[in-house]
Amino acid sequence: MAQGTTKIRNRLNRGDSAWAYAFIAVALIGYALFTAYPVISAFIISFQEYKPLGSEYIGFDNYAETFTSELFGKAVWNTIVYTVLTVPVALVLSFAVAIMIMPLKKWAQTTFKAIYYLPAVASGVALSVVWLWIYDPLPGGVLNQILALFGIDNQNWLGSSSTSMFSLVFMSWLSSHGTSIIIYVAALLGIDESYYEAADIDGASFWQKMWHIVLPCLKPTTLFLLVTGVIGSFQVFQNAYLMTGGGPDHSTTMVGLLIFDTAFKYFEFGKAAAQSLVLALMIGIIALIQFKFLGKDVEY
Amino acid sequence: MKRKTKFASTVLALMLSVGALSACSSNGGNNGNADPSNAPGTNPTASSEAPAAKDTITALLPPVSPKYQENFEQMAADFNKLYPNLTLKIEPASWEDMTQKLDTQVNAGSPPDLAFTNSESIAKYADLGMMMDISPYLTPEMIGDFDEIPYGYMTKEGKQYGLPAYLAVHSIGGNKQFLEEAGIDYKKVQQSGWTYDEFREAIKKGVVKEGDATKRYGFVFATAGVASKDYLGILVKGAGMPYPFTEDNKYAYTDEKYLTVLKAIRELIDDGSMPKELGSIDAGKRWNMFLTGQTMITGKGLAVFENSANTNNKKLEANDGSAVADSIKAEYIVLPMPSFAGQPAVSHAVVDGYVAFRGKKEPTEEHAANVAKAAYFLASGQVAATTNTDLFLSHITDSARKAAEGVDTGRNSDNIAADEALLKQAPPARDIPTELAADAIKLENEVIIPKLQALLAGEITPEEMFEAVKKAAVEKFGADGVV
Repeated sequence: MAQGTTKIRNRLNRGDSAWAYAFIAVALIGYALFTAYPVISAFIISFQEYKPLGSEYIGFDNYAETFTSELFGKAVWNTIVYTVLTVPVALVLSFAVAIMIMPLKKWAQTTFKAIYYLPAVASGVALSVVWLWIYDPLPGGVLNQILALFGIDNQNWLGSSSTSMFSLVFMSWLSSHGTSIIIYVAALLGIDESYYEAADIDGASFWQKMWHIVLPCLKPTTLFLLVTGVIGSFQVFQNAYLMTGGGPDHSTTMVGLLIFDTAFKYFEFGKAAAQSLVLALMIGIIALIQFKFLGKDVEY
Repeated sequence: MKRKTKFASTVLALMLSVGALSACSSNGGNNGNADPSNAPGTNPTASSEAPAAKDTITALLPPVSPKYQENFEQMAADFNKLYPNLTLKIEPASWEDMTQKLDTQVNAGSPPDLAFTNSESIAKYADLGMMMDISPYLTPEMIGDFDEIPYGYMTKEGKQYGLPAYLAVHSIGGNKQFLEEAGIDYKKVQQSGWTYDEFREAIKKGVVKEGDATKRYGFVFATAGVASKDYLGILVKGAGMPYPFTEDNKYAYTDEKYLTVLKAIRELIDDGSMPKELGSIDAGKRWNMFLTGQTMITGKGLAVFENSANTNNKKLEANDGSAVADSIKAEYIVLPMPSFAGQPAVSHAVVDGYVAFRGKKEPTEEHAANVAKAAYFLASGQVAATTNTDLFLSHITDSARKAAEGVDTGRNSDNIAADEALLKQAPPARDIPTELAADAIKLENEVIIPKLQALLAGEITPEEMFEAVKKAAVEKFGADGVV
């Protein structure tokens, strides 16, 4: 009887294992097809001069050209500037909004979360079109009309090197924090009430609670948002592509846009693959640095 | 037994899947193997001796004219009537995604057999080895049907990569009422052209101010993003540089005449004749500015704009709410671009047409011949007549002229005469080596357009832009490769 039960259990276990492997296989096949294969292909292509009718192996030429290209250097610099200006501000804004939402009643919290998350649901193209309308360079443009109320001359927001980068940054500041706010609110809700109670008993002020309870407890969340924010910012493409096309005079050419142009405008897929891998390496190094210096005492 | 049945059904299902997939890949493909009888080496002219093999020709087509895409079904049916063994499979595309779609397909090695594109892009695709030479399959009757100049635009290094649909001249267009108010003898300009100085004075007269604000500009050209290359490209032709390379294939834009044009671009903005925000004005906005009376002259102008202006005028007369908001009645007058530094006027001719591609597999002789037949069908006769009439363009084939006989487009007769005069100034096609042409396109995209945007924004001087172009050109073509 016992032997029979063990057999049945073994068979059931084998059946469970088979199903488990089957489900894992689906994910693995998806990963292999849509992630691993393109990455390996990009790596191989980066050593070739790509032609649809037969590519030619050219060694490290694509990498050499990438590292010596003035335009690639400018694109990296633009991307760094964009990242430095957008990511920290995004973190501070998201955190501030999350803190302001927290004391509200649940329905009000949900309403605000929905409002702030709305731009994340809207198509990026639609958002860009709205911002193009706001940045209309003629005196009738929305932003220029506001400036005119203060007697300021109309600005060529996207058409001038002195304002084009700021225009993209400003657009980012005002339109992309929904996800971060929701993550921060979730993290704030996870902080144990007893910490605040203990602090109240000790007579801690709002800022003391913020500094000694909230910020340390949210450190893993902040690190996560910082790392993903920097990665996203380094890969920024859509805004520059739709709003400025990288101009004027390459003042808003980001690395992502340059890779796209290299591949799809000039058909230099080998060079674009090399640029992509250099970008991936840069992002990897920056993420490692962030984990090294900020993630020491973070528990997951 | 049950296991065996399962195994057998799985094998059968797999076989069917593979069969279906292979059918997908060959059906409508551009390798001509859709039918087993489409074997290589079949004589394309032997169709009278044996029943011709079935074949499908694919074509990627944008909305060439306002009514073009409405006729796709009719076009496919007419083609099939003419060649019962052939199917013309048309894939529609918008202008916005046309190039991207085509580029992706070309780079994946599976382009359509035909695509509607500009003759200038031939260099780009030929450099990849993805274009198909259809000259062996064009009969003398087909070739003889075309006007010589547009036909030559589709030729590169002795190979015929497609057939032209039309030759259009990029002009500029004025508002008749405003031109008259400014005292500009536009009829004389239409026939004799104007120099840069005459043009500059004329557009100054077109400016209307209300206090410090400009109510109307003399001239507005769409120059946002890549549109700026049209502006510069059109202007430099009037400065004696019809092509980026001289007759002996030296890069031309390092000539001092190029600097003259760059200076003019700044002067027209600094004069106040053009908006200082010119670099951000796109094609839609500049046309809106024309229809709403915010500019006297607009560019670039195409013949079809007269049709658009007339249509809007009719809507205004009928109090139709779909007329452009705040627009006024505007009679569109075709005008030439100015000439520079005593150089003869040269029109910026654009030849678009049906360009033939090949896939990764070598196309069969028979399929290539069928592609040539489809290209000719689309570029001539009734199809071309309908399209070019819709666009207010002159016909470039005898068969289209014949098909369009008696059709009245209702165009302004002065404009027809002006277009004819401009067409006479179109430069003949130059067979620039593929590699040089591709390098020139890259230099244009990487250096000229970005610098021009900065020049339009007033951030660099014409001299700085000229030096930047010169430096990049010498790096690309060598000191001996430039003038």
